[in-house]
Amino acid sequence: MKLNIEGLLVYFPYDYIYPEQYSYMLELKRTLDAKGHGVLEMPSGTGKTISLLSLIVAYQKAYPLEVTKLVYCSRTVPEIEKVVEELRKLMDYYAKQTGAKNDFLALALSSRKNLCIHPEVSSLRFGKEVDGKCHSLTASYIRAQHHSNPSQPVCQFYEQFDAVGRQVPIPPGIYNLDDLKDFGRRKGWCPYFLARYAILHANIVVYSYHYLLDPKIADLVSKELTKKSVVVFDEAHNIDNVCIDSMSVNITRRTLDRCQTNVETLQNTISRIKETDAAKLREEYRRLVEGLKEANVARETDMYLSNPVLPDEILQEAVPGSIRTAEHFVGFIKRFLEYLKARLRIHHVVQESAPQFLKDIYEKVCIDRKPLRFCAERLRSLLRTLEIADIADFSAITLISHFATLVSTYSKGFTIIIEPFEDRTPTIANPVLHFSCMDPSIAIKPVFGRFQSVIITSGTLSPLDIYPRILDFHPVTTASFTMTLARTCLCPLIVGRGNDQVAMTSKFETREDFAVIRNYGNLLLEMSAIVPDGIVAFFTSYIYMENIVASWYEQGILENIQRNKLIFIETQDAAETSMALEKYQEACENGRGAILLSVARGKVSEGIDFVHHFGRAVIMFGVPYVYTQSRILKARLEYLRDQFQIRENDFLTFDAMRHAAQCVGRAIRGKTDYGLMIFADKRYARADKRGKLPRWIQEHLTDGSLNLTIDETVQLAKHFLRQMAQPFRQEDQLGLSLLTLEQLQSEDMLQKIAQIAQQA
Amino acid sequence: VHFVAVDTAMASLSEEVLLVVKRVRQRKQDGTLYLMAERLAWGPEGKDRFTVSHLYADIRCQKISPDGKAKIQLQLVLHTGESTTFHFANESTALKDRDVAKELLQQLLPKFKKKANKELEEKNRMLQEDPVLFQLYKDLVVSQVISAEEFWANRLSLNSVEHSLSNNNKQEVGISAAFLADIRPQTDGCNGLRYNLTTDIIESIFRTYPTVKQKYAENVPHNMTEKEFWTRFFQSHYFHRDRINTGLQDIFSECAKEDEKGLKSMVTQGVKNPMVDLLSLEDKTLDEGYGTATVPTTSNSSNKSLRENSNSAIIKRFNHHSAMVLAAGLRKRHQILTSLFVAFQVKLQEAIEYDDLQGDSGRKTISLNLKKSDRYSHGPIPLQSQHYSTSQDIINSISIIQHEMRSYKPRLTQVMSSSAASSAITALSPGGVLMQGGGQQTINQLVPTDVQSELKHLYTAAGELLRHFWSCFPISTPFLEEKVVKMKSNLEKFQVMKLRPFQEKIQRQYLSTNLTGHLEEMLQAAYNKFQAWQTRRMMRKT
Repeated sequence: MKLNIEGLLVYFPYDYIYPEQYSYMLELKRTLDAKGHGVLEMPSGTGKTISLLSLIVAYQKAYPLEVTKLVYCSRTVPEIEKVVEELRKLMDYYAKQTGAKNDFLALALSSRKNLCIHPEVSSLRFGKEVDGKCHSLTASYIRAQHHSNPSQPVCQFYEQFDAVGRQVPIPPGIYNLDDLKDFGRRKGWCPYFLARYAILHANIVVYSYHYLLDPKIADLVSKELTKKSVVVFDEAHNIDNVCIDSMSVNITRRTLDRCQTNVETLQNTISRIKETDAAKLREEYRRLVEGLKEANVARETDMYLSNPVLPDEILQEAVPGSIRTAEHFVGFIKRFLEYLKARLRIHHVVQESAPQFLKDIYEKVCIDRKPLRFCAERLRSLLRTLEIADIADFSAITLISHFATLVSTYSKGFTIIIEPFEDRTPTIANPVLHFSCMDPSIAIKPVFGRFQSVIITSGTLSPLDIYPRILDFHPVTTASFTMTLARTCLCPLIVGRGNDQVAMTSKFETREDFAVIRNYGNLLLEMSAIVPDGIVAFFTSYIYMENIVASWYEQGILENIQRNKLIFIETQDAAETSMALEKYQEACENGRGAILLSVARGKVSEGIDFVHHFGRAVIMFGVPYVYTQSRILKARLEYLRDQFQIRENDFLTFDAMRHAAQCVGRAIRGKTDYGLMIFADKRYARADKRGKLPRWIQEHLTDGSLNLTIDETVQLAKHFLRQMAQPFRQEDQLGLSLLTLEQLQSEDMLQKIAQIAQQA
Repeated sequence: VHFVAVDTAMASLSEEVLLVVKRVRQRKQDGTLYLMAERLAWGPEGKDRFTVSHLYADIRCQKISPDGKAKIQLQLVLHTGESTTFHFANESTALKDRDVAKELLQQLLPKFKKKANKELEEKNRMLQEDPVLFQLYKDLVVSQVISAEEFWANRLSLNSVEHSLSNNNKQEVGISAAFLADIRPQTDGCNGLRYNLTTDIIESIFRTYPTVKQKYAENVPHNMTEKEFWTRFFQSHYFHRDRINTGLQDIFSECAKEDEKGLKSMVTQGVKNPMVDLLSLEDKTLDEGYGTATVPTTSNSSNKSLRENSNSAIIKRFNHHSAMVLAAGLRKRHQILTSLFVAFQVKLQEAIEYDDLQGDSGRKTISLNLKKSDRYSHGPIPLQSQHYSTSQDIINSISIIQHEMRSYKPRLTQVMSSSAASSAITALSPGGVLMQGGGQQTINQLVPTDVQSELKHLYTAAGELLRHFWSCFPISTPFLEEKVVKMKSNLEKFQVMKLRPFQEKIQRQYLSTNLTGHLEEMLQAAYNKFQAWQTRRMMRKT
C-alpha cells in the first residue's frame, strides 16, 4: 500500500499494516527531518525492519540530497541476510508499483569467510584462517613479487577485480551475500573487495556493528562513508557492551610469551634484511623522519589492524626519534615487554588508572608517554616494511602495541586491573592484566558526531532514558511502542513460590538451597506436561545451570521430564550447542516436543529466535544479574556512578532485566505467534524490577500474576494455551491490530495510533 | 537336532521335518512327536495319521515340568486357551529329548508369534474400538451361533483396504526418552539391586545405542549369559554416565568411546540449518585478547574439579541421549536431499514472512488425510442412524425459516372455515387420523429399556447373519454353496436360540405389540430365497 507519512509518500510492500508500524514510521520521519538521533523501542515481530526500510528508502527517494546513504547495522550474519531480503521485497514492490527500473544499489558486507569464492581459501573453516590465507595471496608486496616472479601464487579473483572491477560500477540492484558471490563468479572478481569498494557509492549498506564501532576495523572499512548517512543500529540493546569490548585488552602470561617470540622473529628478520636489502629500512626511516604518517601507501589488501584509537586521537605528527629505526623500536618493545612481565609477577590484586600506570612505567623503565602513543602506528609500518606474510602469527605483539597506544592516549574512562589468579581457583597462578574500557560512549562518539542521524532500535530498550545517558548523546526522539493485539498472545507470569510455599529465587544466599532447586525442577516438570512442542528455559549462568542439572539428575527430576519431552542442553562449546539446537528444532518439528536448557547472556539467548512451536513457553530461572564480584564490573559501576550519576543497583537491575526481557522475548515473533513467559523468581514482582521490563511485556502483567505458586501457574498456563490454540484468522485482527489503508485513514484510528507511541 | 527332509506319507504335502522324537506319550498313548517347518504334530504308534497338529502360530507358549519331577513333560498352551501335554517316556534320554524339543520350539515360536500376535491384536483392537461389533461378537460367537473364524472371515477382509493402506506408510513407533528411567532398581532385600528389564526396554536400548547391541551380539551367548551381560551393563559407567570412566576392563568403555566418537563426528559435521549455526552467527569475532569477557583458562580439564567434570559429563550425556532417541525414531525415514542453498533460501524467506500482513493469497495448508471424513466432521455417531443433515444444512434451513417468519404476513381474508380447522386439529391430535404413524413413540414409551436394548442387539446380530447370508449370492462356487447352507442353518440356530427366548420373554411380560415381526419377516425372506435357490438347484440336478 502507499502511505502518506506527514507528506512523505511511502511504499509499503504489504496489503495490511500494523498500527504500531505506522506510528513508528511517523517518529522515524520526525527524527530524520530534525537531522538528529533517535531511540526507538518496538516489540520484536511487529515488522520493525520493514518499517525502517520503507520509510528511509522513501526519504532517500524524496530527498536525495539530504540523505544519501543508509547504513544498517545488525548483529549476526542471518540477521544481515534477513534485512537484505526484506529490502529486496520492498524494491520489488517499488518496481511493480512505479514501473520504473530499480536504480538503487544495496548490498551486504561480511567478512571474507562469508564472501570468498577462491576454491582453496573458501574451503577453510575458520574466519581467521580465511583472512590469513587471503592475505598471503593478495598482500601488496606479494603481488609485487608476483610481478617479477610469476610462480608466486596470487588470487586470480582479486587480480581481475583490481584490473577492471573499479572502473565499471556494479549495476544497481539488491545484493545479498550469495548474490555478491554469484556476481563475483560471473565476472571473475573477488566479491569481498568488490563489496568493500562498492559500499562507498551504494545507497544502502547492511553490515555488522563492528565495521562501524571497532576503531581498528572502522578505520579500514567505513572511513570514507559520507556524512549524510542515516545509521541504524538494530537489536541495539547490547550496544554498550560491543563498544566496550572493542576498546578493551587483556594480557596474560601466554600473550607475553608469544610476544617474546614475535620480537625475536622481528629481530632476526631485521638483521637479515639489513644484509640483503638495507635500502628498504633506510627508506622507511626517511619517510618517518619526514613525518609521513603512512610510511608506505597502505593498500586495501594489507590487513594489518588499523590504529585502535579513534581517528581524532591519532597524532598527526612524525614518529618520535627514539623509535624511528627498526632496531630501536624493537628494543623499545622489548623494554616494554619486560616491564609488563614484571607487573604480572604479583601476588595481590592491583587496580590503577592509566596516568598511574604511565607514571609507574616512566619511573621504572623510563618509557615516555609519547613513543607509547605511536606504538601501534610504528609496528604497522615495520610489519609492512618487513613484508611479514603470516600476520596472524603476530597477533600477540599487535595486541601489546595496541595496549600501549590505548593506555597512553586515554587518561579517562579506562582502568587497569592486574589479577594474580582467578577468583574460583586461588591456588593456580594465572596472572591477567585487564585494560578495560568503562565508558561505552568513547567508541560510539565518532559515529554520533559524524553521521547526521543515528537510530538506535530494538525490541527491548527499557528504560529508554538510560541509553542516551550511558552512550552520552542527545536524541531528538525517544519512543516506546506497544504491540496492539487482537488477542493477548503473550502471557507473562511471575512464579514466586513452590507448592510448598518456599520462595523461589536465584538470590545468592538461597540458590543452592535444596528446596529452591527442587521447586525449579517441579516447575519445569509441570510445564513439560502441559506445554505443546518446545520449551526454552534460561538460567542465570552456565555454572549455575550445570549444578542444577546435576542435582536434578540425582533427584530423578530429569528422568520424569524425559517422559514428556526430550532434553537438550547448551554447552560451552558452540559447535556442540549448534547441534543440540538443531536436534531441538527437529524434535519440535516432528511433534515429539523438546526442552532446551540454555543460559542468559549466552549465544543462544542473543541470536536464536524460537518462533511458533519452537518456543511455546520460555522459563527464566532467576534474575540474570551479571557476576557482581568481578572487579571490572565494580570499576565500571563506580565509573557510571561518578560520571553519569547512575546508581549501581539501577544499572545492575537494568542490565539484568534487559537480558531477562531478551530471553523471554525470543518466544514471541509476531502477532500470530503465542507463548508463555514465565519469570521464576519472586524478585520479579518488585516494582523496581517489573518497571524495567519493556512496556509491551509490562502491560500484560496483571496484579493477579505476580506471586504465583507452581500450581497456580499451571492453571493459568493451561487456560492460556487452550485459548491460544483456537483458530486465529485475519478477520479477527482486522481493524484492531491489523489495518487496511481505509481503516488507517479514518480519524478515529489516527487518534488511537497517536497513543501507541510513548515518549520517554 | 536332526535336519531330515522326509517325505512322509502322513503329510499330504511334503513338509520339512526338523525334529522327530520317538516314545512321546500323549493322553497315555505312545507315539512320535514331529516338529515341522510350520507346525507341530503328534501321531500315535503304528497309525499313519496325526491326531494332534498345531500350527506354531496357534501356540501361545510352552511350559515344561520342573527339574526333578518324575514325569518329564512339555505343555503347549494355545491362544484359544486349550493345552496339550506331551510326556517324554524314553527313560534314558527323556530329559535330553525334552530339552532338544524345547530349544527348537523356543527358536521357532517367536517367528510365528509376531504374525499371530498382529492378527490377534488387530482383532482385539477392532473389538475394543467398536462396541457394536463387540456385542455382535458376544451374541454370535460366544453363544456359538457361528464360529470365530466365520465371524472374522469377512470382517478382516473388509478392513483389508485400510489395512494395506496403513501398512504401507506405517509409522515407526518411537522410543520413550525416559526408557532408562523405567528400569527402576529395586532392592532385593539381601544387599543387592534388582533391575526389571522387558523386551521393550531392551529393544529401546538396542535401537538407541547400536554399540550396545553390537556388544551383545559379540558376547552373548558365547562369552557370557544374557543375564550376566545385563548385570554388567547396569554396573558399567556407561549406564551411570555421571561417574567418570576409570576402569578399562569394562566391556562398555568401548561403547562410551564409540559414542564419544559419534558425538564428535556429529559435531564436526556441523549443522545443516545456518540459522542455528552458532559458529557462523557472528560476522566478526573479536580477536583474541580483546574484550572484557573473562579469558578462558588455558587448560580446560586439569584445573576443573571432579564435580565439574562429572556435571559436564551429565550434560553431554543428555544431549547425546536425546539425539540418539530422536535419531532412532527417524532412522528408517529417508532424508530429503534438498540442496543446502535452496533450504537456506526457504528458511530465510520464512523468517521474513509476515503472513498476517500479506493478503490471504499465499496460505499454505496441509490437507488432512482422513479415512472417514464424516466421522471427523461430526464426531462419533451411532452407527444405526442412517440419515443426518450437515450442520451447514441445519444452519441454512434455520435461517430460511427465520427469514420466512420475519416476512410472514397473515392473510386474514383467506382463512379456512372453523369446522375445517377443528377437524384438522383433531386429525393432528394424539389418536387422530394423521397421528397413527407415530407408533414408534409409543413403543419407546411402552417397552422397558432393557427389552429395547435387547431388541437392538437382536437386530444387529440378525443383520450381521443376514449380511453373511446374502453376501453368498449369486452362488457361483462350491465354496459359496457350502457357505450358504451353513448360513441358513446359522439363521435357524439364531431363530431358535435367540429370537424364540426373546419372544417368550415379551409374552411373559404381556407386551402386546409385535416387536419381532419385522425380524421374522427378514428371516423369512432369507428362507424363501434359500428355498427358491434349493429348488432351482434340485431341478437343475435332475
